[in-house]
Amino acid sequence: MKILSLKRRLRAGLASLLALMVMGIGAVVMVYPYVYMVGGSLKTRSEFATDRPAILPPRFEPSRLFQRFVVGRKDPDYDQQLKEWPLQRNYADAITFGHIDRFVCNSFLYAFVITAISLVVNVMAAYAFARMRFPGRDLLFGMLLMTMMIPSTVLLIPQFLLIQRLGLVDHPLGVVLPAFADAFGIFLLRQFFISIPTDLESAARVDGCSRGGILRHVIVPLSKPVLITLGLFTFMAAWNAFEWPLVVLSNQDLYPLTVGLALFRDQNTQDWPRVFAASVLGSVPLIALFYAAQRYLVSGITLSGIKG
Amino acid sequence: MGKTNTGAPRLWPGRTAIRAAWRRKGWEPVAYLYIAPALALILTFSVFSMAVSFWMSLHDWDPLLGAGRFVGLDNYGRVLGGQDSVFWIALRNTSLYVATVLAGILLTALPLAMLCRKARYLQGLFRTVYFLPSITPGVVVALVFYQLYGVWGKLLDNGGTALPAIALMGIWSASGYDMLLFLAGLNEIPQEYYEAARMDGAGAWAEFRNITLPMLRNTLAFVTVMTIIGAYQVFAAVYIMTQGGPEHSTTVLAFDIFVNAFSVAGQMGYASAAAWLLFLIIGVFVFLQMRLLKTKSLFE
Repeated sequence: MKILSLKRRLRAGLASLLALMVMGIGAVVMVYPYVYMVGGSLKTRSEFATDRPAILPPRFEPSRLFQRFVVGRKDPDYDQQLKEWPLQRNYADAITFGHIDRFVCNSFLYAFVITAISLVVNVMAAYAFARMRFPGRDLLFGMLLMTMMIPSTVLLIPQFLLIQRLGLVDHPLGVVLPAFADAFGIFLLRQFFISIPTDLESAARVDGCSRGGILRHVIVPLSKPVLITLGLFTFMAAWNAFEWPLVVLSNQDLYPLTVGLALFRDQNTQDWPRVFAASVLGSVPLIALFYAAQRYLVSGITLSGIKG
Repeated sequence: MGKTNTGAPRLWPGRTAIRAAWRRKGWEPVAYLYIAPALALILTFSVFSMAVSFWMSLHDWDPLLGAGRFVGLDNYGRVLGGQDSVFWIALRNTSLYVATVLAGILLTALPLAMLCRKARYLQGLFRTVYFLPSITPGVVVALVFYQLYGVWGKLLDNGGTALPAIALMGIWSASGYDMLLFLAGLNEIPQEYYEAARMDGAGAWAEFRNITLPMLRNTLAFVTVMTIIGAYQVFAAVYIMTQGGPEHSTTVLAFDIFVNAFSVAGQMGYASAAAWLLFLIIGVFVFLQMRLLKTKSLFE
């Protein structure tokens, strides 16, 4: 009996080890492009051209770093190389010539406005669809679900013409307006609202709370995790949007990060370290935001209305 | 007004009567106020836009003049059989891309999710790392892979490898997120099912085939539908990395539509026809897929 359980435990441990190894390899595959991007952003132009396959610039070679800083061997050549570190150059260029800071601000503004307004719009609609009865409810909700299937590529041309008619081409409002309502968000929120017990609402109603009051004081506080999840996903989608702002905007001052990066690449086809520095600057804000909000995310994904 | 109506059949029952009827049925008119903003936006930017798109596809559209000449189904004919039309090439490329990405995601995300559960340590780290591509702008990913593929032997300059290379990038950037979805699905399968199967002496494959797969049906359906819809619209990667080349080997539908609508003058009607065909193709796929997996409950 003892031997058997030992054997089983050994087997389970082995399986766990194997899983760890495969997952570890996968993790390296996931991280490698980021390391390559950061490393590239720290190279000089000539280093990038000659040592393209190298992940890190030569001055960060671990053996040399070890010799210089751990062993403490004097190496004036190496010190000189470190002094000519192009960190400042590439990153400063990305900001002074590429205006990446402005693009990041624009992206933040677009993503923030879209997230804030669409959350309000979607919460209101989702609450009505979840809790109120009115003629045409199921028909309208069905129509909403159907629109989830429409590819954005199909909507690109007519939406552009609509925005053109509204005089919003090359206007920040034109970038954000079509994203203010989101069928998927309404669907997701409705699923969650339905799962909230009605007892709480009935109690609030007895106390004379209006529909708006219930929504604000009962439903929204109870839905915080799903609201944060949806907010993050909306923010992410708005931050990643490329095709729509590319079509709507021609004034470079209004470009979001994605379009701005594409423009910066076109202006610097011979200077990739700069482009990589800009890419690093462009990816850090969202990654930071997500890891700040990570604890909501894991629960949020399970909440996203998909029954396993 | 009310007095002159007496005797004649009343068409307008009066406000109080309507209110009473609504209340009796439990209807709340205020609901329309709640859904109004969302409905107005979605009607305008989705439903009405679809109609406009269809109307445009029947016209020879000039963006500067506004309306154009009615040409019936000419645009569709030109898309499907025109001399300079790359629609079929684009459709072939897009479908290959979608198939590769879908297969790649299903073959990596699900096994990774199952492995992640097996791994006793570092699960949190793995989740974090695998999620990274989902929160990196696609443009950044495309820029980095553009260079990586250059280093790995000019994969993007070769008509045979360019599209698979872009698809590989698509798998890389999506499989981590889908792994998290599968992980969430796996966590909801009651552990007793596996224990019961083990009692009956079921092997690992039988467990996977008879418990894991059926229990993950909805997650599988969700991932498949979303991957198909997303992959059919692939644009940024092609725009950044290849601009459709070499020799149209990476021209996908979204890129073809974009080029015709916004880079070539007077082709908006033509591009709209191509867009509608794309919509129909995706619609058929989604419909078939839902039939196949019998997942009406997916959106309920």
